[in-house]
Amino acid sequence: MLLALAAVPVLIAVAVRLSSAVPPGRGPAFLDQISQNGLFVGITAMLVAVPLFLPLTIGVVAGDTVAGEASLGTLRYLLAGPAGRGRLLLVKYAGAVLFAVAAPFTIALVGAGIGAVLFPVGPVTLLSGDSIGPAEAVGRLLLIAAYLAVSLVGLAAVGLFMSTLTDVPVGAMAATVVLAVVTQVADALPQLDWLHPWLFSHRWLDFADLLRQPVVWDSFAANALLQAGYVAVFGALAYARLATKDILS
Amino acid sequence: MTRKWLRWLPAATVPAVIAAGVLAGSLPANAGDPLPDKSPAQVLALVAGHRDAAFSGTVEQTSSLGLPELPPASAGGDTAWLELLTGPHTARVYRGGPEQARIQVLDRFAERNVVRNGQDLWFYNSKDNTAAHAKLPAGTRPEPRQDAVPQPDRLAEALLARLGRSGDVTVGPEAEVAGRAAYRLVLTPRSSTSLLAAVEISVDGRNGMPLGVQVKARGQSEPAFSVAFSKLSLEAPDASVFRFSPPPGAAVKELPVPDHRAGDTKRPGPNAHGKVHPKGEAKVSGTGWESVVELPAGAFAADAARQQGGNGDAAALLAKTAVPVPGGKLLSTALLNVLILDDGRVLAGSVPLERLQAVAAGR
Repeated sequence: MLLALAAVPVLIAVAVRLSSAVPPGRGPAFLDQISQNGLFVGITAMLVAVPLFLPLTIGVVAGDTVAGEASLGTLRYLLAGPAGRGRLLLVKYAGAVLFAVAAPFTIALVGAGIGAVLFPVGPVTLLSGDSIGPAEAVGRLLLIAAYLAVSLVGLAAVGLFMSTLTDVPVGAMAATVVLAVVTQVADALPQLDWLHPWLFSHRWLDFADLLRQPVVWDSFAANALLQAGYVAVFGALAYARLATKDILS
Repeated sequence: MTRKWLRWLPAATVPAVIAAGVLAGSLPANAGDPLPDKSPAQVLALVAGHRDAAFSGTVEQTSSLGLPELPPASAGGDTAWLELLTGPHTARVYRGGPEQARIQVLDRFAERNVVRNGQDLWFYNSKDNTAAHAKLPAGTRPEPRQDAVPQPDRLAEALLARLGRSGDVTVGPEAEVAGRAAYRLVLTPRSSTSLLAAVEISVDGRNGMPLGVQVKARGQSEPAFSVAFSKLSLEAPDASVFRFSPPPGAAVKELPVPDHRAGDTKRPGPNAHGKVHPKGEAKVSGTGWESVVELPAGAFAADAARQQGGNGDAAALLAKTAVPVPGGKLLSTALLNVLILDDGRVLAGSVPLERLQAVAAGR
């Protein structure tokens, strides 16, 4: 799955390399800057992957956690051991979080790597108009990946809960991905603006604040708080569901 | 059975705890002692006495003027100011002294910058990677007016200077802005024809710096326009913030030296970021809340034509929102009416249409 994610920056880099210059203001943000600076491949790839690609992979991984074991009939044996259900849930969630961290970092690093191969690397122009050196730019790139990792932790918790609801992993995966898309649609409707701050996808695209000079940390903190809330709520729900469930398979 | 229900306890408690936390956070925090009572005159003296301190802060602006919302940062160059009048905006403001300032308008995946350092004035728009530079004559006040969110303290000073004398000034209940206790000055017009119902200015209780401005329109409970600090630190920002050089690859335009005297006197409404055209001589009739600005024929037409050559946002907005009235077209917002006469003259003011028409007829 990480390979599929790594394909995104490669595709973007090759496409830009083969095409003529992209006029500014067309396509996804930062796309026009790639040909001048390879490091932007990583940023553009993350931007493209945030709305659907990343949630899709997280949904698959998190949706599979408990339901996958149940459908294989192995959940019974896992719980036959001395480890409690809470501990099983914790380990399963840790696995999903590990993937949520690995996924954006894979895109960022593969993107920066392929960008460095195909395009020149130099000082990076931030949104504020200031320029920073390549070393600091890689630091910012990793910060953005960290921001996205935090953003996906909440979705992973939702997926974990979905996974405890059913014995069919595909159902849990689909429900998680659909939820991720629905919240983004709701986030785009101005009529629902009272709801927006509560949607886990609300701050997904605010990672651009890390490309300002000085960095705006507010969105990072607010996003972390929001995701922590989702982890707490859906973690508790998942525990309650798994602990009270009759394990038949 | 009870054991089973016990397992659901955390799932029920966590949302309850979060809800309690949110409620507690939304209650107005009582920041220590209440401010000592002051008369309106004393608060005005406090404002007049405040020094232009160095600070850095975040400014939130919202407007509900009844204009259609433009996509953020769609407008570049000449029409960018128009977009600032619709929808909410966040900006960071840094000020290091009388000749050092930087305003960053934070758009999604883009940013507009106005940087003033000594005599250099820079504009930068990351959307199309364009920069503009102007060399200011020494001693001009740092007033980069267009392309930026207004700064609460500057706007408040301008409003007080123009409206203070022809309105009633009272002190409302204490407010809290950016975590600081503030007096709330309420300016209300004496005349009943103005579209404005009240202007509220929050004044820092300790140092007298205006922290926020709300403009209320008649018949609207929500403020039609509001700009206030959401965060404020009175420490001098780092000098590197004000050093700006255009990034490599940016298109840089050299601007002619702006003539501040021409643009200064004719800002009719508090919210008329209006482009005052330097070429046409504007005429102001009436005073204070009821002043009407008249631009002669040609001034606006030239503007519109140029914008049509550009991306035409202003023209499109005009076509969408202006309604035909006898003698011309009317662009009506909650705070400002603009009458575009068939002969090309443009009249604007925070007054009803009838008053504009009366001024147009020379009465």
